[in-house]
Amino acid sequence: MKQLRKTLIWVIIAILGAGALGKIAFQRGEPLNAIWFVIAAVCSYLVAYRLYSAFIAARLLTLDDTRATPAERHDDGRDFVPTNKWVLFGHHFAAIAGPGPLVGPTLAAQFGYLPGTLWLIVGAVLCGCVQDFIILFCSIRRNGKSLGEMAREEVGPRGGLIAQLAVLTIMVILLAVVALIIVNALSSSPWATFTLAMTIPIALLLGLYLRFLRPGRVLEASLIGVALVLFVVVAGQWVSDSPSWSHIFTLSGVSLAFAIILYGFAASALPVWLLLAPRDYLSAFIKAGAIFSLAAGIFLVRPHVLMPPLTRFTDGNGPVFAGKIFPFCFITIACGAISGFHSLISSGTTPKMILRESHARFIGYGAMLLESFVGVMAMVAACAMPPGVYFAINGPAAIVGGTPVEAAATISSWGYPLTSQTMTSLAHAVGEHTLLNRAGGAPSLAVGMAQIFSSTIGGDRLLSIWYHFAIMFEALFILTVLDAGTRVGRFMVQELGGRLWKPFGRTGWMSGILLSSAIIVGMWGYFLYQGVIDPLGGINSLWPLFGIANQLLAAVALVVATTVLLKMGRKRWIWITLVPMAWIVTITMTASFQKIFSPNPRIGFLANANLLTAQIVAGKIPFAKLTETRRLIFNQKLDAVVTTVLALMVIVLIVEALVQWYAILSRRRGPILHESPYVPTQWVRDFSGAAQGDD
Amino acid sequence: MRHSQKIVRRAFRLFWRGIREWCGDAEYERYLHSAGTRRGCRPILTAKEFYVEQLNRRYSRPHRCC
Repeated sequence: MKQLRKTLIWVIIAILGAGALGKIAFQRGEPLNAIWFVIAAVCSYLVAYRLYSAFIAARLLTLDDTRATPAERHDDGRDFVPTNKWVLFGHHFAAIAGPGPLVGPTLAAQFGYLPGTLWLIVGAVLCGCVQDFIILFCSIRRNGKSLGEMAREEVGPRGGLIAQLAVLTIMVILLAVVALIIVNALSSSPWATFTLAMTIPIALLLGLYLRFLRPGRVLEASLIGVALVLFVVVAGQWVSDSPSWSHIFTLSGVSLAFAIILYGFAASALPVWLLLAPRDYLSAFIKAGAIFSLAAGIFLVRPHVLMPPLTRFTDGNGPVFAGKIFPFCFITIACGAISGFHSLISSGTTPKMILRESHARFIGYGAMLLESFVGVMAMVAACAMPPGVYFAINGPAAIVGGTPVEAAATISSWGYPLTSQTMTSLAHAVGEHTLLNRAGGAPSLAVGMAQIFSSTIGGDRLLSIWYHFAIMFEALFILTVLDAGTRVGRFMVQELGGRLWKPFGRTGWMSGILLSSAIIVGMWGYFLYQGVIDPLGGINSLWPLFGIANQLLAAVALVVATTVLLKMGRKRWIWITLVPMAWIVTITMTASFQKIFSPNPRIGFLANANLLTAQIVAGKIPFAKLTETRRLIFNQKLDAVVTTVLALMVIVLIVEALVQWYAILSRRRGPILHESPYVPTQWVRDFSGAAQGDD
Repeated sequence: MRHSQKIVRRAFRLFWRGIREWCGDAEYERYLHSAGTRRGCRPILTAKEFYVEQLNRRYSRPHRCC
């Protein structure tokens, strides 16, 4: 009877989810309520977690709770720390949830809500969660080894080097693109610039407090910090209203780019306790608060989604970025559905802290489901505003026009009604001079969030405060990604440089620190500058490049996972990783090919370079713009080279893996699995109750 | 009544402990109670030393994702 009731509940959840998905897919004509998105996503996640992840855990991986995890065997209170599964879930989620699931869906909304939402749900359930879960499992069985180490051991010696180089490349492009998002969000906005600038002295203050006054008292320091940050969000309005102060904090894109480059260098070279760590604490608290508030806001307000299910830009001529749904929707959504970068977290800190093997399902699969849900909420926030407003905010001046009148005329001619008055009033309501041409996704997401928040608390009176709170929230944790990433990139540069010249690899050598920091900052700073001066807004070329790099890393992770499963003798279930791998390789290779060779100058890097060269030859470029145009040509060619190198690296790895798979399947070589030996857990008697905080 | 108070108190205690562990407040206590520290293989760090060492270790590898 109990079993029947349980089955019935799951059948109801499945029917509800299928019904909601059907409603999203087939509703036409009138606006759809956002609650359908929540129901579709939550029911799909519940069913997938209950059935698919349980199937993977039991049949594919055969998780074994009698086996001691690395946290138990090496418990040193530093790296290897047995941690309660809910706490570790929080750590893991905080680590994987960056700006990607917010920005990617916002940009992909240009195709309409349907393709992005479906990929967010289906991609996460069948690809992203599977990748995170299986890589976490592989790392647990290998003493918490990193993806690079596992690739070297299980696939081949080149695999490790390719993974390391892929990580460095993706890091450089990622840092450039997130920095560009901040630049586009803060450009000519004294309120937002002041708020974000003030978080630096606040972080320094917290750093000193935590280092000298109350070492390790993170909670109290973070609460003080959050209160100060909320104060500066409000104080930003006073700065914006004051002509003299407003002038100081009104910065152009190029000035902001150099300020961020300087900040990245300082954060990388300064002691980590002074700036980087306290900012991370602040960011974690505000991120958690803002995400839960957004979920609650959507639930309470239940806004209508005004964007159509499919827009006219499915033809590939979208103003935000060029390219058709296949492959660019999948590349653009990135982290909300599958992210290669997650495999670095799943093979980094988390496997060293996990208490039992069975927790890998909840943490690896479950945290990615939550990340996907964040992506769905971002999609709702972006699609809840009128499409005309969305395109005006996200479209570059070269396409939609640089004034409200031009933008209104262009966007209305596409069939999305917009008046210049709407944009002027909206900018005024959120306390900005203009909201036009803010490519990058952050401002449009902030407008969407502010409208949802203000419908819950404060009404239109607080719209400007909510908008700047949302911008601060996005910029704060983007900066955290930026400074933490720059520091890790610095270590990678030192490690690679140390192979050529040993002293360079010493992480405590000040000259080495400064030089390696300058190299990594110079690398992403170059791409950032290129994006800022790009007349198409930079996001058009940089975000797809980031998406390709990130998904190629996912392909690397899935190649490693498939190889391990083959060696474990799981031929029958190999499709679980093989199908996502084949799909990811197909979309990334197609996107790479199109980004390099497409004859459309808005898509193909080489076509754009050729077009600009032809314009110079024909004398169509004014003399004053010649240098800038030549630089743009060089940048387009550089982007083409970077994309080619990334694609080639993954092809080499796949070929190496195929040779290995053939040898195993044809029994020419015995499968050598590099798992650490089985050690029985000492906590086995505590399975029913609380073992080491597992309550 | 007393039973429900007990449940609320227990839930609050669990929540508080979870928050302290999630944000890193309890890391030093964890370190002191870890098997490695109890074995006494290495000299025990002070709270200040542990805090700095822990941060240097954490921020030298990918720790925040995109």
